[in-house]
Amino acid sequence: MDKPDQRLFEADLASAAFRAGVQKGYWGLAGTDVLPQQPTWPLRILWIAAVIRTNAPDRYYVQLDSSDYRAVPPTGTFWDPATKSLLEVAKRPKGRPDSRFAKVFRTDWESGRAFYHPYDRVAAKGHPKWTTEQPSLIWDNNHTIVDYLEEIHLLLDCGDYLGR
Amino acid sequence: MADQELELFIHSQGERSRLAVASPREVLRDVLVRAGVIKEGDHELLVFVGEWDGAVREPVEVEDGEDQHEPVNVLLTIEALELHHHRHVHVHKCKRVAVEVNFTGHTKRHRFSPATTIGVVTQWARRKFKLDGAAGAEYVLRICGSTKQPRPSEHLGELVDSRTCAICFDLVKEVTPQG
Repeated sequence: MDKPDQRLFEADLASAAFRAGVQKGYWGLAGTDVLPQQPTWPLRILWIAAVIRTNAPDRYYVQLDSSDYRAVPPTGTFWDPATKSLLEVAKRPKGRPDSRFAKVFRTDWESGRAFYHPYDRVAAKGHPKWTTEQPSLIWDNNHTIVDYLEEIHLLLDCGDYLGR
Repeated sequence: MADQELELFIHSQGERSRLAVASPREVLRDVLVRAGVIKEGDHELLVFVGEWDGAVREPVEVEDGEDQHEPVNVLLTIEALELHHHRHVHVHKCKRVAVEVNFTGHTKRHRFSPATTIGVVTQWARRKFKLDGAAGAEYVLRICGSTKQPRPSEHLGELVDSRTCAICFDLVKEVTPQG
């Protein structure tokens, strides 16, 4: 039987907000074209569209650990559909130096295993000051996977994203 | 193909959007009643289809502009309203939402359709304050007097108080995580 956090996550995948993003081609759950089945809960593989850049893919995959969803935020990073493992640093999206993009997707922190963003569980836990510095981005149980995906999608769709 | 059911995204004031499935020959009003968005006898509510983005094409020099998005006849079918293309349906009491955006002591105003996303309002505001391009990407809208920064996919109609049909934002630079 599915766990409560898994049921809640799957309900949010069926929500209008998530489905609207799928319909627009912004994000989705990874399909059987890249893996036969999703990994064991609490891991899930999703894709997020990226604006076109030379020699860069039009979407990136992420592996998220969503245990205790929504009580705590997910955590995770980029995933490689070719190797079925975390995306090596050299293949990760690059941003304009010193931009917010570059900071969120930095790889010199926690070995690049999580996004440097208040919606990431590992990052939020290690930065209690962010709750006062970035009060608009405090995760609570009203937040859903759509909030998380929309933050990543915005970055991959912005002018500070340079490619791979 | 012609009878293929569609996923529609229904937006109304003060609520998260809802998903409804409809067939092309259904009347929009019946779909909205079934989704619980309107009740039999509701005549005050205006219904818009699509996500309106006209403001981003408004010339920069225009002050106090207004969208031209008109409500639809809900007795038309899904097919006639081209909802296979539009997908989004907005149910609201406000025909327009009076938006004020403040930045560096200046204010820009526009009367938007309630079917406008925060992403579109943000693009409009960046243009009006000449923050286009990569440098402008880090500027976002925050509701005046709060810490709330609505998501770009949220619609004005979901956020605005239908008694005032007005909302105020400050254009602020998104904080870069540090520490």
